[in-house]
Amino acid sequence: MKIGVFVCHCGSNIEGTVDTAAVAAAAREFPGVAFATDTMYTCSEPGQEEIVTAIKEQQLDGVVVASCTPRMHEQTFRRTVERAGLNRYLFEMANIREHVSWIGKDREANTNKAIDLVRMSAAKLLHNRPLLSKKFEINKRVLIIGGGVAGIQAALDCAEGGLQVVLVEKTSSIGGKMAKLDKTFPTVDCSSCILGPRMVDVAQHPNITLHAYSEIDEVSGYVGNFEVKVKKKATYVDWKKCTGCGVCMTKCPSRKATDYFNEGIGKTTAINIPFPQAIPKKAKIDADFCMKLQKGKCGICEKICPTGCIDYSQQDEYVTEKVGAIIAATGFDLFDWTVYGEYGAGRYPDVITSLQYERMLSASGPTGGHIKRPSDGREPKNVVFIQCVGSRDKSVGRPYCTGFCCMYTAKQAILTKDHLPESRSYVFYMDIRATGKNYDEFTRRAMEEYDAKYIRGRVSMIYPKGDRLLVRGADTLMGTQVELDADLVVLAVGAQAAAGANQLAEKLRISYDSYGFYMEGHPKLKPVETNTAGVYLAGSCQGPKDIPSSVSQGSAAAAKVLGLFSKDKLESDPQVSMVDIKRCIGCGKCMKTCPFGAIKEIDFRGMKKAEVIETICQGCGICTSTCPQGAVQLQHFTDNQILSEVNALCQF
Amino acid sequence: MKYQQELKDSIRKALPDLDVVIAWSSGFDPLHATPHFIRRDEDIDRLEIGPLCVHNLATYLPGLRGKKVGIVVKGCDSRSVIELLQENLIKREDVTIFGFPCTGVVDQTKVRKALGNAGRVDFCQVASQTLVVGAGGTEHKLRLSKVLADKCFSCQYPNALLADHFVGEKISPSVAEEEGYDDLAAFENMPLDERFAFWQKEMDRCIRCYACRNACPMCVCRDHCLAESRDPHWLSQEDNVRDKWMFQLIHAYHLAGRCTECGECQRACPMDIPLLLLKKKMNKEIKELFQYEAGVDPAATPPLLSFKMEEENIKEREW
Amino acid sequence: MPVLKGKELRIVGFLCNWCSYGGADTAGVGRFTQPTDLRIIRVPCSGRIDPLFIIKTLMNGADGVLVSGCHPRDCHYAEGNFYARRRLEVLHRFLPILGFEPGRFEYTWVSASEGQRWQQVVTRFTEQIHKLGPAPKIAGPEASKTLRQMEAAL
Ligand SMILES: Cc1cc2nc3c(=O)[nH]c(=O)nc-3n(C[C@H](O)[C@H](O)[C@H](O)COP(=O)(O)OP(=O)(O)OC[C@H]3O[C@@H](n4cnc5c(N)ncnc54)[C@H](O)[C@@H]3O)c2cc1C
Ligand code: SF4
Ligand code: SF4
Ligand code: SF4
Ligand code: SF4
Ligand code: SF4
Repeated sequence: MKIGVFVCHCGSNIEGTVDTAAVAAAAREFPGVAFATDTMYTCSEPGQEEIVTAIKEQQLDGVVVASCTPRMHEQTFRRTVERAGLNRYLFEMANIREHVSWIGKDREANTNKAIDLVRMSAAKLLHNRPLLSKKFEINKRVLIIGGGVAGIQAALDCAEGGLQVVLVEKTSSIGGKMAKLDKTFPTVDCSSCILGPRMVDVAQHPNITLHAYSEIDEVSGYVGNFEVKVKKKATYVDWKKCTGCGVCMTKCPSRKATDYFNEGIGKTTAINIPFPQAIPKKAKIDADFCMKLQKGKCGICEKICPTGCIDYSQQDEYVTEKVGAIIAATGFDLFDWTVYGEYGAGRYPDVITSLQYERMLSASGPTGGHIKRPSDGREPKNVVFIQCVGSRDKSVGRPYCTGFCCMYTAKQAILTKDHLPESRSYVFYMDIRATGKNYDEFTRRAMEEYDAKYIRGRVSMIYPKGDRLLVRGADTLMGTQVELDADLVVLAVGAQAAAGANQLAEKLRISYDSYGFYMEGHPKLKPVETNTAGVYLAGSCQGPKDIPSSVSQGSAAAAKVLGLFSKDKLESDPQVSMVDIKRCIGCGKCMKTCPFGAIKEIDFRGMKKAEVIETICQGCGICTSTCPQGAVQLQHFTDNQILSEVNALCQF
Repeated sequence: MKYQQELKDSIRKALPDLDVVIAWSSGFDPLHATPHFIRRDEDIDRLEIGPLCVHNLATYLPGLRGKKVGIVVKGCDSRSVIELLQENLIKREDVTIFGFPCTGVVDQTKVRKALGNAGRVDFCQVASQTLVVGAGGTEHKLRLSKVLADKCFSCQYPNALLADHFVGEKISPSVAEEEGYDDLAAFENMPLDERFAFWQKEMDRCIRCYACRNACPMCVCRDHCLAESRDPHWLSQEDNVRDKWMFQLIHAYHLAGRCTECGECQRACPMDIPLLLLKKKMNKEIKELFQYEAGVDPAATPPLLSFKMEEENIKEREW
Repeated sequence: MPVLKGKELRIVGFLCNWCSYGGADTAGVGRFTQPTDLRIIRVPCSGRIDPLFIIKTLMNGADGVLVSGCHPRDCHYAEGNFYARRRLEVLHRFLPILGFEPGRFEYTWVSASEGQRWQQVVTRFTEQIHKLGPAPKIAGPEASKTLRQMEAAL
């Protein structure tokens, strides 16, 4: 093999602490290396051209690029060598930026290390073989998990693009958090007026199948051909018949059921439609509160329902959906703020969350849009907002900024004044983060036009004083203590990963960060991809996001799926395992350990042998390290390839 | 030996349905038994069982796949059969297992040492606790306790664990379970550098004959053993300690969770390299971690081919 | 090969592509300075790491071997690290019989987001190996000869 080595300066990123010319010089001495040079920006157009030219002029049949991480540019350079007529797998990358120049300061040690890494890559390359991908059919349907605004956007965009969409929502209506909001910043337009029509579009679109009150049970398969088992939870109502008339709700005697949609402001009935604009507009029974299901007595809804759709014996049902791509849009949940003893840990009824406040502000909410103290129904005069509750606070394990609380607090302060012109809002904040378009102007308006008093500092204590609350905190700008008499305290509670996010990630085989937010493929360049082919992200499941960003991601994920499905066939990754039929004794150990069931037993002239099903194999190589005689080898990571790296590094 | 006749009768009855029965008979001299392949009725007469029947005949089974095979097994050998069954390397319906209670087999190296340069062996008899060997005109009485194989002193399964025909009375193991690993414990008391030096010295003597592998009933790859392959290419063909030692670790690792401690590898080694020490160490750790012993239950899943989400005995490393 | 005399020891890492290799990248992006001894071999999954690779690396004269994969439950391939955990734990317990200090080999889990944790792991492991000093070397012919012979055989 004639190998060419290209050592990248990456401007000064690498050259700053690695002598790239020395690395190239050393590389010339390695077995198989016919050509080595250092280049300024290998990934740039001229950099890539240099590789193409060298391959042609020097008749190279293998290329090593020493530059950044292969997780960044391996694909780029594979395409480059392909342009010059080489097979894309006759290419190796040595990571001398993330793993060398950026983490070590000693130029001599770094240079020496870079030489080692290049030696290793070249040694492996000597064992690389051209690999060719196979084409396979794809199922052009997409599954979207989570029907918040991000999921809705993705669903509509995909459906408009002509794809069949399956939307799975955990609760009995789509809409997510946005459906609960009264108005939205920075325009203060009515949330349900802008979201409602889109929800209706979802219900009416011929290309969208909606499974509400459903969850993902199992995911198998791979990009292009996933098989997803969806659990449709029992609603005890036959949704094919239910017209959403709501008569049942008027007669249900169990009136103390938790009102999840209204965040516990008020109660609802055991059988309920969560809110008037719900999509689908169907009733479901909350079994925890239903007297018939709990005690066997009642049955009123069954008697009263005009379409006879009540079915107390209904069971969870499972449906299997075959799709080619998946978008996770499961959003976020609110941090459980009751860990804060200083805010009363949930003891004071007039300390509420921002989302509860949204419900209170909403004209269709439980209070009909009137701001009332939960304790006595009085209108508050002084409303104190506390920001960063469960955000930017290491002590409760939430060091990150939720990002949208500053904005919605300003919005709520404005709305408070609109609702109660006599009232005054006070906002305790740490910093104001208002970086979007028209955002800073918006917070200023809250302060300047709506007379909200902003106090920079943290609240140290809330305690009852008569029928009011005394809020004590610091004003760090003035360097003083402040004490305020509050009628209502609204906590700007931060966002955390949605309940069950981790379990879902495990099913989807995507990773999540230490807080449970899903990891994108690359923080900048692949914001809606994951590292699992065919699985994409949209909205707050990837990190807290406001509506504009969530919607953008919904559209972006849809664009990715449309792009993926624009081809009629996908190419399989040829980095899969292959069985050397001579060596295989058919013991089946590999079949036992393969997590994907990608190895089947075949009969070869009367002998049992193993065979890898290429489209199912994911290329993990578990089988390879299971087979004693090395009969099954993961292509591109064969024993010989890894051994050659070991031998290049450790020479006794 | 006590049950020899009974065993012969039972084989005679079964033979018409079998292609071959593997047993032992007297070998090139009266002190050595040798594998014996019974195909016809008259072959049965030469069958012998007793402390000289050192070979683990299970080693032949994978090579006889597709044939109806009878096999006579000691307790330890039966575990190899079970392991082969578990790994689907042989079919249950193809093997007929004859078991007997084993009271231990000799270690020929120990016998050789005890006899010294005794000359040609003329006869050999087993009395209750002694082995009487006539060699070079004199009679040598060797106490069995001095010449039995080490593995027999820690044997927990003297009776065949799986048998279609079992002759004689089952006996109980002669040592408590904990004692089985005393030799290993002694070795592990040595400082690390001495252990390192020990293996270098021992492996230096290895002649790369691969008798150890060929004798191992679980080394079923044979022609495709990593030791001699180029793809994958783990070892050079040179005579150096590094590669010779590496091969033993390959063997130990390929046998992890599969080795039944039959001791064939060590017995077969012409250089008397204490290979079993490595296998025992591996088995001990596997037993401690996963409460698992190979060759006991044909339906079990070997621990390295399975996992638990929460491992009771593996601490999440503080690393 | 040319370990910087007196400065570095030969430390080899086997990292899974999805989590730990990404974690090491994240550490780089964050400019989390680390000792320079470690050389990383990238494999798709910790389940691909045959313990024999680690033994081979030690036999070839490495002073330390570090293995890192996705946290249990987070394997990109669902189960790879569960198999790896068993294999690696057995290895960790087995090595001392050969005379290798157990601390020459460690395995751990680092996710793609844990750049800082990666920095700590590398720093700590490198310190541990420096404390142990160079590994005892197996007597035998020069590397170049054997390796050349092995290459030639291909
Ligand atoms: C008090 C408050 C006020 C706000 N005000 C504004 C504002 O004025 N302007 C603005 O831009 N932003 C505002 N936001 C932010 C806004 O709520 C979010 O940007 C938006 O809701 C994110 O949408 P999403 O689709 O990503 O997530 P979500 O709205 O959380 O939707 C996620 C959906 O997925 C479902 N789901 C979760 N897990 C699963 C599962 N395992 N299976 C199936 N389905 C699942 C959920 O039930 C939910 O329907 C506010 C937030 C709060 C808390
Ligand atoms: S483990 Fe190896 S020998 Fe056994 S069936 Fe699989 S490929 Fe064949
Ligand atoms: S590499 Fe092997 S174990 Fe992994 S998916 Fe492919 S066949 Fe299965
Ligand atoms: S490794 Fe040795 S003791 Fe273990 S099964 Fe093989 S021959 Fe028997
Ligand atoms: S040592 Fe390993 S590869 Fe060789 S025959 Fe035994 S099990 Fe197979
Ligand atoms: S039988 Fe002994 S000498 Fe022969 S290869 Fe095995 S260990 Fe080496």
